Amino acid sequence: MRKNKAMIFWFCLPAVLSLLIMFVYPVCRTVLMSFFRVESLTAGLGDWSFFGLGNYSKIFSSQSFRTAMSNMVVIWLVGGLITLALALLMSVVLTSGIRGKKFFRAAIYMPNIISAVALATMWIQYIFQYDYGLLNAIVTTLGMEKVKWLGSDMKFWTMTASFIFGSVGYYMLIYISGIEGIPQDLYEAATLDGASKVQQFFRLTLPLLKGVIKTSITFWSINATTFFLWSKMFSPIDTEESTIVPVIYLYDMVFGGKGVVNRDAGAGAAVGVVLTLLIIAVYVITNRLFKKTDLEY
Amino acid sequence: MKKILSLILASVMVLALLAGCGGGNNNKNSGGQDAGGNNSQNDAGAQNPDNQDGGSGKQYDGVELTMWSMWNSDEPQGQVIQEAIAAFEEQTGAKISVEWKGRSINEILSASLESGEKFDIFEDDYQRIANIYKDYTYDLTDMAAAVNYDSFSYPCFNNTVIGWAGFLNSIAEQPQVGGIFYDKDAFATAGVTAEPKTWSEFLDVCQKLKDAGIAPIAQDSAYADFAFYHQLVRHLGEDAITDLDANGGWADSEGAVAAAQEIIDLVNAGYFADGAPDEYPSSQNKIGFGQAAMIVCANYVTAEVNNATGTQVNWGLFNYPAVEGGAEPTAAYAGTNSLAVTKYSANPQAAFDFIMFLTTGEFDQKMADTAAQIPADTRNTAPSTLNGTIETLLSADSTMTWCNGFNARDDLKTSVKSTIVELYEGKFATGEDFCKALDALY
Repeated sequence: MRKNKAMIFWFCLPAVLSLLIMFVYPVCRTVLMSFFRVESLTAGLGDWSFFGLGNYSKIFSSQSFRTAMSNMVVIWLVGGLITLALALLMSVVLTSGIRGKKFFRAAIYMPNIISAVALATMWIQYIFQYDYGLLNAIVTTLGMEKVKWLGSDMKFWTMTASFIFGSVGYYMLIYISGIEGIPQDLYEAATLDGASKVQQFFRLTLPLLKGVIKTSITFWSINATTFFLWSKMFSPIDTEESTIVPVIYLYDMVFGGKGVVNRDAGAGAAVGVVLTLLIIAVYVITNRLFKKTDLEY
Repeated sequence: MKKILSLILASVMVLALLAGCGGGNNNKNSGGQDAGGNNSQNDAGAQNPDNQDGGSGKQYDGVELTMWSMWNSDEPQGQVIQEAIAAFEEQTGAKISVEWKGRSINEILSASLESGEKFDIFEDDYQRIANIYKDYTYDLTDMAAAVNYDSFSYPCFNNTVIGWAGFLNSIAEQPQVGGIFYDKDAFATAGVTAEPKTWSEFLDVCQKLKDAGIAPIAQDSAYADFAFYHQLVRHLGEDAITDLDANGGWADSEGAVAAAQEIIDLVNAGYFADGAPDEYPSSQNKIGFGQAAMIVCANYVTAEVNNATGTQVNWGLFNYPAVEGGAEPTAAYAGTNSLAVTKYSANPQAAFDFIMFLTTGEFDQKMADTAAQIPADTRNTAPSTLNGTIETLLSADSTMTWCNGFNARDDLKTSVKSTIVELYEGKFATGEDFCKALDALY
């Protein structure tokens, strides 16, 4: 068929323009803004004053930003290990032919279709509540003293645990689709060769899921880096050290917190650039670690 | 044939695109939705200046205003605003469109004002209006003078706004006052007959309440910094706190050490409710359940507790007690949500008149009663749960900010707050230990 170049151009134009205006322009503006002293996010270029690496210096010397980064890394690493391991375990169990597979799959995925706000409220006001919460009811039934699950020592971990609860189902579905894509005859052959279920998991399932695991690590990295709502729900009035993450720090910088009128959109942009670079770094490293993932079966 | 089909498809796409982009002004406020997805109730239609009925001869026939509200249409405040708009439209012939932006209005106001987006009136915290948006707000000084605004408003807010912005750029709509809110019935049960004015009297009240089996103080971690700020202000005053927050040296400040020690003594004496500092709003709700008696907060705590617990607490309010030899014995927190007119509004007088209509007389009283708030019009009456608040605000010669002293170092703000929460958790043996922990942040 003869290609009509003009037609292709006109059909592509709206999409290209949308991409340029809504994606490329904000990205370029944010990167540029991170090198300027800018108070308001929408301030005109005339109100910008060159600041060099000043914004980066400011955020990296900030105790709050360092705490936020540290919290984010722990959520990414510890939370990621637990979430992905649990998701993988459940996906293997659910694809092993157990009864009630559909029910368990729906039940484990259900937190993903409930609003995260409702989910966080349930955890805060019911599960972790000091006086009548589920956990303290169990603890007191066992004859132990009530625990302050939302005290400053525990809040970060309770928040992370709640986040993990809400995330496992999503990754489990990804793994289930990956496992179901592996031909059954490979397992049959392995069984005939005398491989146990555990051996089949480590020698067959895991290697053949490399590509899916790589994708899930990238997704998890994006989720951990853009972690916001759970932090807001666990510190509803004002930002707290135990729940602060970089996006919350960015938000406070750009919009100001309760009673705070100082704003620094330049520093906020610098936080955004740092987070983007982090995601790119994780993506590149993951690609290097899982180089040969395109196995054909 | 294929070419013709392609051309038809391309034409349809372009037309659809144009239709989507077009009609901006006429549809802008029609059937709009608020942040919560609720339909605007006071959609006054198009922004077409030619759309005047001209026949009724009312004051603002043909005038169209747009208001951005920080509430949602189904909230009590939103409902009163809608009633006021309907009455104002009926009375003056003006048409007011309201867009319900919700509490996140501060995220979009700056950008919208800078880009000159067409709206005339907006609501937000008066501190932000005076400090962040002042360049985009109308100077209301002359219009306020013309209606003798000073005679029925709170000087503490007007003076503060003028001090920050340099001119009167907002009108108080929902004033707030802070202090110690308490359950009068709990006080009566414990045999407390007078509100404490000094720290030693306050300790006596705490002991009586404890003896009566009522936890004296409820404290949620969300407000721990606000509570401790009161203690610090009594000892040092706000300027000294700002200085300490900016430069450190807390352990060298006798006032800071004493303030922290007093909180530690409260913790050790068992004067805080079980589980305090609890997760908001668990501890404050204990007042509604009759388990605790007092809380340091602003007046909205009364409505929050009543609504959350389904009770009608017999609320009272007293100013935070003075400490011996303290620098600031009387200052109380005062703040307000206010209304402002955009600098580029085509009808600033009509916008101002609507603001007056909403914040005075019948509708201000209705706002106070419906939303359990302090009236903005000092001639009105506060709901029974907020008795005395109008007088408190009127007599306030010096007001306290919402922890402004802790904002001097925005990079340390969250760390300072967390250290304060630990103070209330009883993690420090002495006031000096606490102050050293603060100094370690610098």
